This record gives sequence, structure tokens and C-alpha cells, in this order.
Amino acid sequence: MSVLGADHRRDMGIHSYPVLVYAMTPLAALVLQALLPRYLRGYAWFDLPLVVTVYFALVRRDPIQGMLMGGSLGIFEDALTHHAIGVNGIAKTVAGFLAGSVGVRIDVENHTIRLMLTFLLSLLCSAIYVFIYRILLGLELEWSWLAELMKAVGNSAIAAVLFPLLDRTQIKE
Amino acid sequence: MDSFFLRYRNLLVLLALLLAQIIGLAVQVRRTESGRNSLDPGDMSGVRLIRLWADAVVSPPEQLSHWANLGAGSLWQNYLDLRSIREQNQALQKTIDRLRLEQASLLEDAKQGERLQALVDFQQKYIYKTLAAQAIGSSGSDSSRVFYIDKGEDFQLKQDMAVLTADGIVGKVREVFPHSAQVLAINDQTSGAGVILETTRIRGILRGNASGQLQIVGLLADQRIQRGETVLTAGGDLIFPRGLPVGVVEKVVPDPDRDSFIDVIVKPAAHLDRLDEVLVITSTEPRFSVEQQQDIATSEMLKGAEAEAIKQQQKASQIMAERLPGLTDPNAPAANPAAPGQTAQPGETPAAPAAAPVPKLLPARHPDRFTPGTTPSTGEENPTPAGPENKPESKPDQTTQPPSGQPGRNPQP
Repeated sequence: MSVLGADHRRDMGIHSYPVLVYAMTPLAALVLQALLPRYLRGYAWFDLPLVVTVYFALVRRDPIQGMLMGGSLGIFEDALTHHAIGVNGIAKTVAGFLAGSVGVRIDVENHTIRLMLTFLLSLLCSAIYVFIYRILLGLELEWSWLAELMKAVGNSAIAAVLFPLLDRTQIKE
Repeated sequence: MDSFFLRYRNLLVLLALLLAQIIGLAVQVRRTESGRNSLDPGDMSGVRLIRLWADAVVSPPEQLSHWANLGAGSLWQNYLDLRSIREQNQALQKTIDRLRLEQASLLEDAKQGERLQALVDFQQKYIYKTLAAQAIGSSGSDSSRVFYIDKGEDFQLKQDMAVLTADGIVGKVREVFPHSAQVLAINDQTSGAGVILETTRIRGILRGNASGQLQIVGLLADQRIQRGETVLTAGGDLIFPRGLPVGVVEKVVPDPDRDSFIDVIVKPAAHLDRLDEVLVITSTEPRFSVEQQQDIATSEMLKGAEAEAIKQQQKASQIMAERLPGLTDPNAPAANPAAPGQTAQPGETPAAPAAAPVPKLLPARHPDRFTPGTTPSTGEENPTPAGPENKPESKPDQTTQPPSGQPGRNPQP
């Protein structure tokens, strides 16, 4: 993992995208996250809003933007469930913050690094979710770490396909 | 100070966002009487608003996707139909010829089929009012087994309405939005339904586990519970009507937390992971057909006529009882302690306020001085020489007076 200096980071600049991509990608992630499990039955091992959050936080190199996007998508995800609103929001806020902070320090053009980050942040999100639900709120929740591991792998697989596609929509300066 | 905020801007924003969301979480959780925390079953207005926004964002694309899916499927089907339409046309002509020959012999069967169909319709219509709906989306999370249907407040759906398919129960309506509704599936961890085992009549509570299986929890170990036994709704939860199929017993496992208790894993009758069309029970009141309503009205009329006949019979019995002869004088006053203008004589005890009825004596054919009621009163001067036959007698009772046909012997003025 190559760590960058401040000058190098400035030289790399910040990637920009069309407004339509900013607006439609998170929305599509939310809709697909609600729609695809119907067709994939019990094999919906992915979290598309998290993948989108990680991507934009990384490439924008802005923790605040990552936090806002992650928090918003997480709250919307919570609103589609019957659970408390805010659990996913907190988890994805932290994920967006970490991804944005890491994006400032490392070379995020490397696909392997991005996939590893996606994998690790997926596991972290799951851990935060369980921590909040069980410890902070004191609610009962049965949990399977195997399922969460599969979800992290699924997120990485989706990121491997989605990140290059989104890279193509960057505005060339 | 400005440099401090600029330097730690990211961390401060993170803390602010986390704090806001934690406070938001705290107000959604409440402590139950048993000391455990649980989510507030009724969403606050703010929470409901967020859910409404999320539904408004997600539901239209989901419905669009559903319609597009249907349209694409229909288009593809039409294309396939067109490709083989000529062959099908010839085959259909042959089929028509054959069917015409069979038509006559099938006429009776068709009539019988119509009667059977009417019976089936009756059975279906009698039980409950249902509304067909289409599953259009899910929560997208394994830990929240809810899905969305394309009917909402516009079809008068309400919370806690039961949702089922032809195979068995599916869940209950948890949240209703203007054009959609959220359904909590029965295999969610937070759902619950009262169930009964069909053969052994053992009752229990059905809920989902982490892996999405149905299980009846908290049952005492019972050897009679066997694999394959049918599980039905018990009807005590005020959501699912009694007797609806739930599933069959798949296996019995010991309760990991409590000795001598078991959990019964149930294989759901409905395909909970492949839901398309569902039925929502909108009313559990029986719905009667026109014929049934006429029958009920006729029954009510007959019941009224019968009551009228009983009333008439009672009235006739009363009249007959009044007209039949008896020992009591029906014309005598019931209780007359002192007649007007009549005073108690010295040495005479006043009449009892509620004197018992005295038998009526028949009037004497030839009254004499011994006849009751013929003795003059003590205030009346009588020059008749004293003799044993002329001794004054006490005043007879009013009821013993002779009839008015003997005025000369009546001592009354």
C-alpha cells in the first residue's frame, strides 16, 4: 500500500463526476438493494449503498462528503426496514469518514487497495451494526458472522465491477 | 479558534453526525416492564416521515421495474406466440372440431362443474374479504424480513391486517403508505403468531429465527409432536383468523436456553422467499351472498312469527283462566279494610286490613233469623220481647249479606 505525500496528493487532484451520476448512483443503489433480494431469494449477500459510499468517499477524498452520503444512505436503508432508524446511518457515516480519510493518504487508483478497503469497511460496518443494536440499544438480534463475511466478499465482488464503470464517468479535465 | 475548527473539522462533523443519530436512536427505544429494551411499536411522527420519504423514493422505481418486467415478459411471450401461430392455428382448428363433438357429452359435466364452482365460490366468499396485491420490493436486509406490496391507503389497507397466499399465511401489514404498504413476514425475528398443531392440539407462538426459519418456541417437550404434522393458526392473536395453514413440522430441536423445552422448526406452507401475488384480509366479518341474506331474513321473520304465536297463546290462556268458575269472588274488592260510612262498633274488632277471602255462601231459599245478615244492628230499637230467638247477634261480615231480594229483613237503613 503506497502512502502518498501531501504534494503528491495535491497533484493527483480530486475527481469530479456529472451531477446525474452523483444523484442517480446512490438512488439506484437504494432501489436495487430493495429490489434485487426479491429475485436472488436468500443469496443477496451485498450492500450496494455501502459500496457506493466507499467509492465516492475514496475518489472525492473528502471525509465530510463521505460521511454525509453514508449517513443519508444508511438512514434510508433503515427506513426501509422495521428496525430503528439510525443504526445503518451511524455505521455508514463511520465508513464514509474512514474511506474519505484513507483516500487522502493512499493511492486509491489501485483496484486491489480499493477492493480490500471495501472488504474491511464492510466487516467494520457489520461490527458497528451489531455493537449498536446489541450493546448500545440493548435489543435482541441474532447474528451470523458467516453471512456478514459473505456480504463483505459480495461487496468486494460488486466493487470490482462497479468501480471501473464509475471511473469511466469521471469528468476529464 | 478558527484554526482549531478548521484543523479538526472532519472529526467535529463526524462527532456531530454520530451524536445526532444516537439521540435519534435513543428516542426510538423504550424499556419494557420486563426490564428489556424494545423498539417503540408505533413510529413517532418524525420516524414515520422518514419512512414515508424512503418509501416515496424507492417504491416508484420498484413499481416501474415491476411493470417493465411484466411488459417485457408480455412482449417476449407475444413474440414467441407469433412465431408458432400458424401451427397453433391448424392445431386449434382440429381441436375445435373435436370439441364440438365432445360438447354435447360434456354439457352435463359442465352443469355439474358450475354447481361445484358455485359451492367453491360460496366457500371462498363466505369466509373473509380479501384484497389481491403484488409484492414489489423488500427491505434489502437479511435481518429485516419485510417486503412491500403495491396497495396502500388508497385501498383502505390498515396496520395488522393479515397477509396470505393460497398456500398459507405470509405476514401482517406493518406500515401503510399512500400507495404501498410494508408487510412484516412471519419468519422475521420480531413477528409472532398464535398457532396450533392440528393433530395434537398443542398451542404455541410462531416466530422467525436468524436464518429465516419458522419456529414454535417455548413448548414443553412432547413425544407426540412428529415431523410432518400440520400447523394452523390458532386465531388468538387477533390478526390471523383461525384455521389458516401455516406449514408442517420439519423437525424438533431442544431449546438451547431452557431444559425440557423444545423448539419446533416449521416448514412454511407459503413460499416466503418467492412471493409475488398475495392476499390481504381486509375484513374478518363473514360476507354473505344475496341468497344467504334472504335466508337470514326469512329465518328472522319465522322467528318473529313464532314469538307472536306464543304471545297469542299466553293471552288466550289468561282469558280462559279469568272466565273459569272458582271459589273466589272475582268481583269482590281485593282488600277493603273499612268500607266508607261504616264505623266500628263497641266491642267489635275492626276488620283486618288484609282479610283473607271468605268463601261465598249461597243465599238461603227461606231466610230466617239464623240466616246470616238478618240480625238488626244494635242501634236499632226492636220492641220484640226478649227471647232466645230474638237475642241480638253480632254483625255479619259484608260478604255474608243476603242478596238484595230480601230488603225487609235487611238491618241496614
